[in-house]
Amino acid sequence: MAEVFTNATQVLQGFKGVKKVSVEEYFTSGHRTCQGCESALVMRLMIKAAGPRTIVLGATGCMYVANTTYYTTPWVVPWMHTQLGSSGSAALGTAAGLKALMKKGRMKAEPINVIAFCGDGGGADMGLGAISATLTHKEYNCLILLYDNESYANTDIQASGSTPYGANTTFSPPGSVKRIMHNRWKKNTAGMLAAGHPECRYVATVDASYAVDMMNKVRKALSIGGPTFIHSFDPCPKGWDFDPMLSHELGELAVETGIFPLYEVEDGVVRHYGKTRAIAEGRPRKPVREYLLKQGRFAHFTEEDLDYFQAKVDEMWEKWEIPGVIPFWKEKRPAVPMP
Amino acid sequence: MAHFTCEVVYRGIFQKNLASRICRGIVLSARKAGRWGIAFGRYGDSPQRNGIPAKDFAIVADSQEELEQNMARYEPQEVDVTICVDDTLSKGVESWAWYGLQPINRLTLPNGTLLMTSLQPAEDLLKDIHKKDAPYALTLLRAKASFSGLWVYREDHTEARILGALSRIKPDFLSLDAVCQAIEEAEWGSDLKVASARKAHERLETRLVNVTEGNPETPFSFEKPKWWEMREGVSIPAIPVGKPMEGGKGYVPERNPYFKKFTSRTMRPVIDFDKCVKCTLCWLQCPDSCFDVTPDDLYDANMDACCGCGVCEAVCPAKECITMVSEAAFDDNASQWEMWRKDKDTYRTWLTATVSDTAHVVRSHGFRFRGQYEQELRQDLDTGGIEITTGIPGENAAAKTA
Repeated sequence: MAEVFTNATQVLQGFKGVKKVSVEEYFTSGHRTCQGCESALVMRLMIKAAGPRTIVLGATGCMYVANTTYYTTPWVVPWMHTQLGSSGSAALGTAAGLKALMKKGRMKAEPINVIAFCGDGGGADMGLGAISATLTHKEYNCLILLYDNESYANTDIQASGSTPYGANTTFSPPGSVKRIMHNRWKKNTAGMLAAGHPECRYVATVDASYAVDMMNKVRKALSIGGPTFIHSFDPCPKGWDFDPMLSHELGELAVETGIFPLYEVEDGVVRHYGKTRAIAEGRPRKPVREYLLKQGRFAHFTEEDLDYFQAKVDEMWEKWEIPGVIPFWKEKRPAVPMP
Repeated sequence: MAHFTCEVVYRGIFQKNLASRICRGIVLSARKAGRWGIAFGRYGDSPQRNGIPAKDFAIVADSQEELEQNMARYEPQEVDVTICVDDTLSKGVESWAWYGLQPINRLTLPNGTLLMTSLQPAEDLLKDIHKKDAPYALTLLRAKASFSGLWVYREDHTEARILGALSRIKPDFLSLDAVCQAIEEAEWGSDLKVASARKAHERLETRLVNVTEGNPETPFSFEKPKWWEMREGVSIPAIPVGKPMEGGKGYVPERNPYFKKFTSRTMRPVIDFDKCVKCTLCWLQCPDSCFDVTPDDLYDANMDACCGCGVCEAVCPAKECITMVSEAAFDDNASQWEMWRKDKDTYRTWLTATVSDTAHVVRSHGFRFRGQYEQELRQDLDTGGIEITTGIPGENAAAKTA
């Protein structure tokens, strides 16, 4: 069988430790994000890892509206807006365009990174089909990075498929009669995309609170070849209602409580990394209440709600076929009554 | 035929609910006083970002026709009363919608009123508030800035107290009785809130400000390109790459010249460079790329870019190396590292005085744990709850070892 022709990717070795991280900024100051915006940090670290020979495409969302409004930009690298659900199409089209131009000699043949980012609304909800299609086109090099702040945060916090159970959003304000208005469990986007696209070489989850790990996953995704996907977990001080100084801490707590697992799926092999590896090996998790009660969006939770949330997270680690990644059960799943 | 217009200048998201309650209260009070009112947010501020200054407007008129006439404008160009619910906004307001930096009293009419919640003396505030070419009254309501978030509201009576104060400033439009009636009938009302409004009505401090007083600085501004100067398509130039700081060492990123973000800040990091262990974490974890890398591998927070989130303080592993201090304590955006490099002894004296200065207002960005606001409000409601000597300056220095 003939090997599919793929353009060369840049050689990007991982940063060996925090002191080796490059000082150059390609996403700089003067964006209009919230105080303590973790997604802005994700943009900054993502492009710091990718370097200057990169084209970034941004689907509608906070990282589009808050960054590139009114004829100004914080981007040092080329950046283009694309529509809400089309991060996958934009990534694939740009990668294909570059490949065609290079093949025809219309531009110098050199490795250029293509990164398309999308929020959880644009990626995990609307753009899922396009991302899925892109991940099957293995002859084009591109990375789709989903920054997940667990709501449509730009338009003032509407619930998305990634909003966690019970959270207060504009769509689900808790009331005195009915306390829990959002009773859907969060979508398992990275696991679904890894399981559903056997030829996609790299899918990872990252958390910018672990910055070096995060940047190294971006580097690996850009240099492995073919379309790749990264799901980033971004605490949002606006929508989750917490003091912005806690952005970093909540990112850590989400991992330490087991709510957001860190893993990579490289050429079909699942590997938990960082604090998640210890959890997968059976080391104790922090109770979810430590994470939940620091956020105003869960301020209405009662003890039963906390117990339910804890039980659902326990399932991820004790019952799933691949803990934290693939929700296939070893035995038949009992129905857990919601409080 | 008469009308009165006021604006509420506030911190986006942190005070969004507060501002909308104030405006709603104004409209309801106007109705109780037999007038017509309307309230609306500034279009360019939406969607709001937390900390970035925003504005709501309220108009009260004698008749419906007059109200409609005022509503026909995109937004009011001048107001009788500017209500500012965070005193660090006295340094100016940079909306995220490309307005540049605007003085807090810009829309205030000659002989109008700037009503501000603050614990600072008027003289200190006038060091920050820009000069105006007409006299106006600076009216102070003694209160700590009331910050909360989108979902959990801090019930510290600030909205009722502002309404009580307004009835003193504009008694012809909003009588105290009308305000109290509105507070009682509004769903968030209570007898205690009515009492707060009456007390605020009594306890206002007013000082006339003449044209010679105020901060003489010209606020930062820029030229917007004309439509014929814009490039083809909707392309705009990227930011150039950064440069080493000096002698090929260090690194200073180029920054967006059209949005500086520093008026989003209510606190700023004060850095003890002698305690820095050069771990890089403040620089690495800063969402705003505000740290310049100095030639000696220290990290200098650039005060044009810092929006005061406090993540650097939270991640710093060295005890008392980074301390968030209320923005009220500072008069400029000068580099702390330059000051430290020039004279270490002077810097040490300044630093010690700054981080241990408890006279400045306590402030918290918002929700940290369930029950926090109730706990804070056990103190005197008149000043917004917390004892002045708790919290920042140096708020987290002690907690960091835990």
